[in-house]
Amino acid sequence: MKDRWTDRLSEYLDGELAPNERIALEAHFSECGACRQTLDELRRVVARAQALDDRPPTTDLWPGIARQVGVGAVVSLGARRAQRRLSFTVPQLAAAAVAVALLSGGGAAWLLGRRGTVAAAPSTTAGGSPAPSVANVTDYAGDARYAAQVADLERALERGRGRLDTATVHVIEKNLGIINRAIRDAQSALAADPANAYLNLHLAREMRRKLELLRQAATLAGARS
Amino acid sequence: MLTTLVTLAAVGLMQQTDTTFPVRAGARLEVNNFGGEIAIKTWSKNAVRIAASHSSRDHISIDASDQVVRIKSQGRRGPSQLVEYDITVPTTMALALSGVYTDISVEGAQGEITAETVEGAVKVSGGAGTVSLKSVQGEVTLEKARGRIDLSSVNEAITAKDISGDLSVETVNGDITLTQIESANTEANTVNGTIVYDGTTKDGGRYRFSTHDGDLRVSVPEKANVSVSVSTFDGDFSSCFPVQLSHKTKHRFDFTIGSGSARLELESFNGDIKICRPGAVMRDSDKNWHKEKDRDEDHDPEDP
Repeated sequence: MKDRWTDRLSEYLDGELAPNERIALEAHFSECGACRQTLDELRRVVARAQALDDRPPTTDLWPGIARQVGVGAVVSLGARRAQRRLSFTVPQLAAAAVAVALLSGGGAAWLLGRRGTVAAAPSTTAGGSPAPSVANVTDYAGDARYAAQVADLERALERGRGRLDTATVHVIEKNLGIINRAIRDAQSALAADPANAYLNLHLAREMRRKLELLRQAATLAGARS
Repeated sequence: MLTTLVTLAAVGLMQQTDTTFPVRAGARLEVNNFGGEIAIKTWSKNAVRIAASHSSRDHISIDASDQVVRIKSQGRRGPSQLVEYDITVPTTMALALSGVYTDISVEGAQGEITAETVEGAVKVSGGAGTVSLKSVQGEVTLEKARGRIDLSSVNEAITAKDISGDLSVETVNGDITLTQIESANTEANTVNGTIVYDGTTKDGGRYRFSTHDGDLRVSVPEKANVSVSVSTFDGDFSSCFPVQLSHKTKHRFDFTIGSGSARLELESFNGDIKICRPGAVMRDSDKNWHKEKDRDEDHDPEDP
């Protein structure tokens, strides 16, 4: 459902509504569950976007560029970054939710898909038997920062995989399988209903959960070294 | 584990460590045990008693200062074998307990508790402030705690009873049962399991329960003021009392009880969602629980 306030929710979140509009919208919330629900979803997306690692570049190029183009006052990137605010329209936020989901999904797929490549060099347990693989990876041409994080995770897991107890590895694989199934279910449902906010959030959560489990497994493997 | 201990005892390799020493109020106990058991009990004395059964090849190390008492075991070559700790501490002593192949239990503590293990159960009665209990392959059970509660497992169920405070509960493959909960902020998530919540719905509170494959059974008191959001892809919704649905879409709808000041989000992709009055939820879930367990017992979803 969409009413006249739907497209103003982002401004409300950013504190950009005029006081009288803010009051009117807050009154509207008491009678419009759809707006409250949409607002909650927007808050979640914004929170998730803000939680993403915002790593600064190693070099701030702007001062040099400013000198070249003759700009007098140089504003530091850090100051710009501090001033930056997240402000989206509803469609942009919906797209962001999907992007977060796909971002996570890409990483998960990346982690999952490399199964075959590491199987060629199985590690062994203390008893000498091959240790089951926990996660494997194929090429992933997605977001570089995310890919780097996943690569770190995968390397840590690879280094410590042989130190994990076979039963633990089995449990991790079993639970990754459970999450995989949930992801596939959500993806199938989304294919038929791509704009569904619940399905988008559900998919994003399951994919994030998968990364968390892989991260936990990598930590466990490292902790036993 | 028990078999190993009995075997060690039989060949005369078992050793007992038993020592008691005073501790200052406010001191914290840290125990790391690679395998075996950590069992904590409390008493009113300002002293810690450590009783441990272990192989004579292992050494129990106790490092006590005014602030921290650290206990760990070490084998002659690498990690120790199985050690069974039976430790008695002051009631309010903060506890940090960890292990790998380790069962952890705490009885009667009234301080902060952190307990983490990989292959073992965590069972705690008591705790105040921050209470964080984690296992990968073991059940996590907590009762009579208050504060900020964080419970997690991966492959087992989580049960919390008689809890007051903020509650965060997460597992992947297991049921979550929360009863006698007094909370304004509760979140519980599982992928393959049923969630039962029988507790308060406080004005202004936030409650979120989510599962992928499993049912939700959630209590809503008769005089609650709560806005409820229900999402399910392939499940049914039912209520033990009449509700007026609004904003109904294909997979989602809302309804409001009273002023609607609290928020309750219920999500199950494949399961049914049911709300009832407090007390009725648990009775209802008991009937369905066994069906779920039977169906999912050691089922590998990746199997064709």
